Amino acid sequence: MTGARPGNLAAHLAAFCGALRERAVAVSISDEADGLGALVLVDVSDREEVRRALKIALKIRPRGARAFEELFELFFPAGGGAASIARAARQRSSIPRSAKPVHRRAIEQPVAENAGPPAVSGDLPAWSPDALLRRKSFEECEPGDLAVMERLLERLAEKLATRPSRRLVPARSRGRMDPRRSFRAALATDGEFLRLARRRRAVEKARIVALCDTSGSMDAHARFLLAFLLSLRRAARTAEVFAFNTTLTRLTPTLAPGRISRELDRLAAAVPDWSGGTRIGECLAEFVSSHMVGLVDSKTVVVIFSDGLDRGDTAVLTRAMRAIHSRARRVFWLNPLLSDPRYEPTARGMAAALPHVDRLLPAHNLETLERLLPLLAA
Amino acid sequence: MRPEIRRIQEAMEKEGYIAEAPIATAVYLAKEMRKPLLIEGDAGVGKTEIAKILARMLDTELVRLQCYEGLDVSTALYEWDYPRQMLRVRMAGDEADPGGLEHVIFSRDYLLERPLLSAITRAQGPAVLLVDEVDRADDGFEAFLLEVLSDFQVTIPELGTIRAEHVPYVILTSNRSREIGDALRRRCLYLYIEHPDFEKEVRIVQSRVPQAQTRLAEQIARFVQALRRRQLARSPGVAETIDWAQALVRLHCDELDPETVRETLGCVLKDHSDSRELSGEEIAVLVETAG
Repeated sequence: MTGARPGNLAAHLAAFCGALRERAVAVSISDEADGLGALVLVDVSDREEVRRALKIALKIRPRGARAFEELFELFFPAGGGAASIARAARQRSSIPRSAKPVHRRAIEQPVAENAGPPAVSGDLPAWSPDALLRRKSFEECEPGDLAVMERLLERLAEKLATRPSRRLVPARSRGRMDPRRSFRAALATDGEFLRLARRRRAVEKARIVALCDTSGSMDAHARFLLAFLLSLRRAARTAEVFAFNTTLTRLTPTLAPGRISRELDRLAAAVPDWSGGTRIGECLAEFVSSHMVGLVDSKTVVVIFSDGLDRGDTAVLTRAMRAIHSRARRVFWLNPLLSDPRYEPTARGMAAALPHVDRLLPAHNLETLERLLPLLAA
Repeated sequence: MRPEIRRIQEAMEKEGYIAEAPIATAVYLAKEMRKPLLIEGDAGVGKTEIAKILARMLDTELVRLQCYEGLDVSTALYEWDYPRQMLRVRMAGDEADPGGLEHVIFSRDYLLERPLLSAITRAQGPAVLLVDEVDRADDGFEAFLLEVLSDFQVTIPELGTIRAEHVPYVILTSNRSREIGDALRRRCLYLYIEHPDFEKEVRIVQSRVPQAQTRLAEQIARFVQALRRRQLARSPGVAETIDWAQALVRLHCDELDPETVRETLGCVLKDHSDSRELSGEEIAVLVETAG
């Protein structure tokens, strides 16, 4: 062990963790304690070892790895172990910090401050600056419609919860015999089994991940569909909602309980390029690479609301759809254009996605959405 | 590098596991800090293997709990041996005093230990507890696991609290099919294992399939690395590389040629759409570049 005083280290580590938190890497106080515990165990004069140990003890996941590496360079500069760590601790005040707190709840995107240009794009949403950034109010969406929808969805909410789980819960009659409870009951009656206790499969709510197209061609429907998703989110607590046009935006963090119409105004502000163009393939590929792991599993139903009018590369779209389809329990594609009986899903994007969709369904009025609900639980 | 970490690295290598510095460091820290180690990474990068190697290194028992949806306490922790209890009650007949009988049938003799309980009650030193694919269990089980892992004690209503005689070394693995809860993550140290780079993969092939010539091992590694760079539905892991090397050695293949590759591609690509997308010419090009 080199001569680093734990006190110095602790203060320096706290500053490092604070900087990590500012970059939206979740590091808790107990993680910090683990970090300190690890530093005491390793050779602090070996910079690489310090890096490895901190990465393990602070539980840095792949998505936080880049911020970690950049900040590590800043806080633990190369050139001589404990001495430099101690020096860095003294210079702490000179380490640039972002001027104001980062409101990362608004849109989840890493904030790259002062750490130089990001080496890899991909993390940073890069919508074209010349794209339309229109903010719309929802006056055209009739308040009556929304009120009706809210009531309707409340009634339909229970229908969502019909998926049998593999977990067993105590049941009154039918089901598998539960030896444990049966035996305990039998003890009370001198070892005679008068009534067998039973267990049956629990009923679980489906997890829903919805991706909603908010591009210009979907304009007439997007608000309607998002309102639907909001009500759904209240019924099924695990629903995740994304909006996409030229970029993908995760809306779930911005969704809070409240009046739907007010929510929608907030959403329009949160989604960049509302009513702009579409790049369905790229957006879905982005979803696959940054969000699918952890959100989509074999219990998840993925619902995509889009007209499938895409000018991008259909190979990208096909690959993304295949990835989603192979992981999710069901993939539904809701296309408002289906309301027209003459419509054929021949638009390039739609045709490319079709082989990887379980059901292609219309979505242009309340009735069609109502028909979707039982399917979500199937 | 601290000598202790280097020793772990060497010991793991001796057991046939090529461990880079991050892996050896994680094992060392988990061992010293007595904290569970959560290992994440794609399928087939050797997560489970770490627990097995650790058990062999420490010369102790590996207790494995394979997680799945619906896993519950009676499969993970303990279960009473109902048939034997029943038999005992019947044999006692009418004359038995009920209090004494209850004591007998709810004793350790009638308790079936499941992995979690047997890991903490092992008398001969600490065991290695492997909780495999924890992401497959329900969230509810995760909460229960958290309780066991924080106190290393289990309360059985009929018996009282059983404390760990030796706190086991715990390794949890996850394929990230579901995000592991923050509370459980906090309790652990964390290691993310990437696919190995070219040099490491060659060394792994050579250590696991010693019959493979250096040239073949390098070709295989280069080919698999090239495959991983493609957009595949299922990227091949190290396990696949080793399988493939074994298959090629069995076929007395000294170097890759397009035909053999196509015939044995099922060892590496385990998704129909992936193997379908790889045309004959592409295989030839890949073989060519693999040298």
